[in-house]
Amino acid sequence: MIADPLEVADDTPRQRFILEDTGFDEVPVKYRRFYRKWRGEGDSLAPNEVICPVCSVVIRSTRELRPGDRVYCMPCMSRLVVARSASGRLEAHVSY
Amino acid sequence: MTSPSHGSDPHRLEPEAFLEEVHSFEFWFQAVSGYLTGRPYGHEAGSSSGVLEPRARERLLTVLANYCVGETAALEGASGLIGFAPNRQAKIFLSTQVVDEGRHLEVLLHRMRELGVIDAEAEVERRANHALVIFKRRLLELVASKDWEAAIFAQNVILEAMEFVVFQTHAKRADPVTREVLEGIVRDERRHIGFGENELGRRLKQSPHVRPRLAEVRRELDPLVLASFEETLAEVEVPRSERPELGRSYLAAVARLGFE
Repeated sequence: MIADPLEVADDTPRQRFILEDTGFDEVPVKYRRFYRKWRGEGDSLAPNEVICPVCSVVIRSTRELRPGDRVYCMPCMSRLVVARSASGRLEAHVSY
Repeated sequence: MTSPSHGSDPHRLEPEAFLEEVHSFEFWFQAVSGYLTGRPYGHEAGSSSGVLEPRARERLLTVLANYCVGETAALEGASGLIGFAPNRQAKIFLSTQVVDEGRHLEVLLHRMRELGVIDAEAEVERRANHALVIFKRRLLELVASKDWEAAIFAQNVILEAMEFVVFQTHAKRADPVTREVLEGIVRDERRHIGFGENELGRRLKQSPHVRPRLAEVRRELDPLVLASFEETLAEVEVPRSERPELGRSYLAAVARLGFE
């Protein structure tokens, strides 16, 4: 069986990010920089961002995200796991 | 709930600590303070929608009246659910949802009065969509029978998911005041749909035998909410070609829960 190259563990150091408050006001102030609104067509996700499949808010991390990472969507109270889609993009799956 | 070493990074919380935090009254209070402070009745004092054409005003009143029916259903439903919620976190969360729903009802009635309606509650009764009224009755019957899973499914998945989509869509096309009111409600709805899907997801994982019963509830209630959803989208003049796209987010939520 050939391993899926997209699923091979990546041990390279992760890129780090400094998060700025983007004006997202739906969570307490101390958490605001970890979320932002999806701006629709023309918007794109950085390597430290995924979209919440439940409420469509962009979830942000201080480090580059990789498959298997756990992130939380506070605006809709969802626990999520990062995965790589068939198209190669990172996406978040709800973990009940 | 955040340990000093984690700073304020929510993604470093342990799963139980995360659930404790987001279900708390304190979390809710700080969250809503961010977007409700300085907006009496859901919009900034002094914002104006100008004068609406008589036909546009009529349509808007019908839509707002039906939003009031949905919000009243959720207000009565959520308050009834507290009595038999399975744990403290759910009870506290539902208490915040009750406050949200009460506020929604109040700001929507207030908006109707701003549009010149003298007796807003009588107007709601007169304009209420029949299918939505039946939905409300069935939801409250599920609550009265203390059927936790079915009532949460009907209220926080079916009703809230539909409202989430309809309010967002309407806000994009609405006059500035109505838009502001709806955008405030949508911010609350995110918590309500998330609570519903996650609570039910956990329950279904533990008790998969409840799935056929919920599928039955869905078969009964889906058409009622969809009928009202269709009527509202027509009133806010969403082209028919765009409506299937709007239904997709609701269908995605039920698909994630394993209902195709």
